[in-house]
Amino acid sequence: METFINPKSLFHLLLLPCLLLYSSIAYNSSPVEAAMHTNNWAVLVCTSRFWFNYRHMANTLSLYRTVKRLGIPDERIILMLADDMACNTRNKYPAQVFNNENHRLNLYGDNVEVDYRGYEVTVENFLRVLTGRHETAVPRSKRLLSDEGSHILLYMTGHGGDEFLKFQDSEELQSHDLADAVKQMKEKHRFKELLIMVDTCQAATLFNQLQSPGVLAIGSSMKGENSYSHHLDSDVGVSVVDRFTYYTLAFFERLNIYDNASLSSLFSSYNPSLLMSTAYYRKDLYKRRLEEVPVTNFFGSVMETIHTDAAYKALSRRNSGRFEDEMSLDQSVHHIKRRMLIKVNDGDEIHDINPEGEEGASKCPWSTFRNKFQKAENVDSLLNYGLVAMIPLLVISTWLVQ
Amino acid sequence: MAETKEKSLSDEKPKPRVRPIVRLGIFLISHSFHFSVVCCTAGVLALFLLPVLAKNTYISENALMPGSASPMLSNQHVSDGNRLVKDLTNPNSKSSETGIESHKIIAQYMLDLGAEVSFHKFHPQMNQFHPLHFFSSPDSGKIQENYSCSSYGINTVGIIRAPHGDGKEAIVLVTPYNALKSGFGEALSLGIAYSVFSLLTQVTWLAKDIIWLVADSQYGEYAAVAAWLREYQTPKFSSLSTPNAEMCPDVNNLFELKGHSISGSKFSNSFRRAGTMASALVLKVRDQNEQFEDTISIYAEASNGQMPNLDLINVVNYLAVHRQGLRVNVEKLWSLLNSSWLKSLGEIFESLAKVAKSLYPKWKFGIPATEYVEGTATLASSLYYQALGVPTGPHGAFRDYQVDAITLEISPKFSLDKVWRNDILLRGGRLIEGVIRSVNNLLEKFHQSFFLYLLTSPSKFVSVGVYMIAFALLIAPLPMVAASLYVDANSSSNCSKGDSSTPSAITDTDEHSIAIRSWRWLNSAKLVFIVHLWGAIVSLLPYFISQIPDCSPTTSFMIWVLLSILSLLTLNSVLASPLACAKATQEKEWALVKSVTISSVFIGLGLMSVINFATAEIGALLMVPMCLLAQPLKLDVRAGTLRSFCRMICNLVLGHIAFPPAAFFLLKGMLDGFGNANVGDFWMWVESLWAWNSATYLFIGMVQLPCWVLCISILFHTC
Repeated sequence: METFINPKSLFHLLLLPCLLLYSSIAYNSSPVEAAMHTNNWAVLVCTSRFWFNYRHMANTLSLYRTVKRLGIPDERIILMLADDMACNTRNKYPAQVFNNENHRLNLYGDNVEVDYRGYEVTVENFLRVLTGRHETAVPRSKRLLSDEGSHILLYMTGHGGDEFLKFQDSEELQSHDLADAVKQMKEKHRFKELLIMVDTCQAATLFNQLQSPGVLAIGSSMKGENSYSHHLDSDVGVSVVDRFTYYTLAFFERLNIYDNASLSSLFSSYNPSLLMSTAYYRKDLYKRRLEEVPVTNFFGSVMETIHTDAAYKALSRRNSGRFEDEMSLDQSVHHIKRRMLIKVNDGDEIHDINPEGEEGASKCPWSTFRNKFQKAENVDSLLNYGLVAMIPLLVISTWLVQ
Repeated sequence: MAETKEKSLSDEKPKPRVRPIVRLGIFLISHSFHFSVVCCTAGVLALFLLPVLAKNTYISENALMPGSASPMLSNQHVSDGNRLVKDLTNPNSKSSETGIESHKIIAQYMLDLGAEVSFHKFHPQMNQFHPLHFFSSPDSGKIQENYSCSSYGINTVGIIRAPHGDGKEAIVLVTPYNALKSGFGEALSLGIAYSVFSLLTQVTWLAKDIIWLVADSQYGEYAAVAAWLREYQTPKFSSLSTPNAEMCPDVNNLFELKGHSISGSKFSNSFRRAGTMASALVLKVRDQNEQFEDTISIYAEASNGQMPNLDLINVVNYLAVHRQGLRVNVEKLWSLLNSSWLKSLGEIFESLAKVAKSLYPKWKFGIPATEYVEGTATLASSLYYQALGVPTGPHGAFRDYQVDAITLEISPKFSLDKVWRNDILLRGGRLIEGVIRSVNNLLEKFHQSFFLYLLTSPSKFVSVGVYMIAFALLIAPLPMVAASLYVDANSSSNCSKGDSSTPSAITDTDEHSIAIRSWRWLNSAKLVFIVHLWGAIVSLLPYFISQIPDCSPTTSFMIWVLLSILSLLTLNSVLASPLACAKATQEKEWALVKSVTISSVFIGLGLMSVINFATAEIGALLMVPMCLLAQPLKLDVRAGTLRSFCRMICNLVLGHIAFPPAAFFLLKGMLDGFGNANVGDFWMWVESLWAWNSATYLFIGMVQLPCWVLCISILFHTC
């Protein structure tokens, strides 16, 4: 008996690592661009302190509210605020922050999770968040746990100049630092696509050194231009929002999670005469056509849909088709729901690839694996049949012996 | 042989190249006459160009954001203020002899608003001459022994704590108030302050505490504020003062009544403090006014020409002009406004600017002639008050503690109309509110803008980098001329000796005589030193003269003059007689004396320009021409040419003008007319200078007077 069973189990044991190896090779060797958009992250940074920079915090909080409204959950937003205007003694409305003089919307209401606040917002911490090089004690909520399927929105506002952005009135982030951090992120497969949005003076200069593929950058002003505040709240006594951010928000206020306005429509919505500066976007590192990329790819958590007949069947990474831009609105409702569903599944799959691979030996849910298992299964069944055929033989032989 | 050959070779070699800077120095020294004429002219011209070069002011500090918040002061607060004004002007409140009733009313009003209130009792401290206290901070340890209960003042202090603030900083609002003979203006200023105060008790945006000081001005506004500040900044730990305060029945009465009527409230007998002062505003309303529109005058000069940060003036100016529609004034020398020569100078500049603009359109530096005249008048008064070194208002007391402060004097177009009164309360109150809100936004002390500047109008200033040019040009020739005189004196005597002696004798005696000659200037230096020593003694004399009781200013002045002459003669006789000695030994001695004098004046002016620029500038205008022109009259008479005659006249005129009392009377005559000039005035003026610890006093005593004496001695040199 044992002699018959052992080879079989041995065979299985040998087979499994081989399969695992194969699947992992197939997974890694595939080009990065081919990785699917599976999740969304946002890093929102306000870099300046002091009461008269109220608007920068308001900018960041407004964008925080927008991306949250469009579906990026709190645990995937890293919010960095260099100062606390809400609790500033000069604030006429304690514990409230407004981005409009009509005071209709309190940005600092419930459910605002600030990950880095006050003096924690430093260039060092910012670069650590991007590159993921944290000290061991840093909690997961303060880390950017993105992967190669992530779309990341990086929004920064503060005071900048030619190729730098001031942090905390004491240090600077230079365009080299930013480019280096992005490069490291790319090498560590920390993003699939990255949208950098900067609202400072001479914001465009901050992108000069970027060279990693998949990065799209937009800044509020060209070199030599200032970015201006939009309006002054004479009640609070400070400017409450910057022009670039104001018009960005105005664009998004018209959208909901189901809209599919493209990035190009966002970028073309900036009117230089209203902005009093020229919004500049750099797209030479970005492969996709901006007309085909919905803004919710970055500002929301909406990604491509793959239609499946069964829950666990026919989910192929390779065969996934391109996103259809021209789908109608009524369709998209269903679509989105499915997308969300798939998104959740996707998230699970990323982390559970190895267990599934192990399971695959017995359950074979993946069609890709099925072919590979075909031969092995044949051998198996042959053995089984042989075993079954041997039973009568055994019976006959024992009977004969008796 | 070889050695001698080498030596001769080296002798024959061309001189090593002199470094360019040395060559430039030699060139300048050899042409010192032309150089000094050009520089002095340029210096005076640059001074007159300053109004043209003035820049527009701008808010330098980001955090201030004046006018970004709309004023919250409403008619409700104005009517509150009006109520206080009515109560204070009510004849019933003036029944008390000491005016305590009005203090009680003010304190009660403050308490009703929920502010912390305390009284600060002080004894007026007469300013006295303390020879060793120049530049030192006011002393806290001084306790006057000979005070009496009848002579004390009461400051009422109200403090609002910032609701969310940390209590580390404070803004001070001061309203001088004389309870005994208050005019309507003072009551009105209290009304304005009260309306702002009542608003500030309600707002949530305060980051700094607000202190409202009602300074009892019956012993002078400055004294009251200074006394309160002294107490605030340097707490007394002596047990002497507290029992003293209770010995006076009136004060006791005051405290008792208060404690009785409002027990458990925020009233306290002890001295109350808030945080570090960020800035202070002194608010006054002028009683009489014949202006056609509401104006507000800014007084900024503190002791020794110190100015508050320009940003503070900018904020007030911006808010007053652009928000409240008030006209802003700074002090002007009114007499200059009508001077025709200034007008023509302005026209010349204007036409020059036009020509320059037609040549190159980007040159836009011209200002209209009328503007130029006004700018010059303002600049002159700015220079004058800074040079005087006496604060122009109670704000000066704050500057001694490095707190930026200004005095705002509102002069409304007067009428007793109620509508008008409400209007001035509203606008004045909103101005104060705006300034406080703006300062409240500050994160640090005022530091962004200039501290060293001269104003040419409320919105134009000349910064230190520009006005120093005029001064530098004026004093630049001094070292050159000194060096050239020194070289001349040496070389000329050298030549004369060379001629008389035979060439063979030179070699032997030369080194020795050169060694002696090169130290000959020490003789002159000794003379200069003695005269400066005398200057120091003269500056100390008033301290002793002021101890003489019952002495009228005129007699004091006479005593001073007599003692000064006496001491000069004594010093001269005791410490050898340098002039006689000089005459015996050297013909050119006067040149050396002049050289050393010029050097010492250069040092003195340079030092003074660091301490108080305006004094140094005015001093340089008087002294530099005198020093440079000084030459023995005998020589000029002997020469008999037109040039020497002119020089003689100039010397005589300058010799009169540069004498400090003469300069004072001349200036006073120009400003007020010569009719009521009195010899005692100078004594009073000097008294005020030392009372305010003005460095100008030291400058006059220890730089200008010795310089004048030395120049006179050169003029009358017998050579």
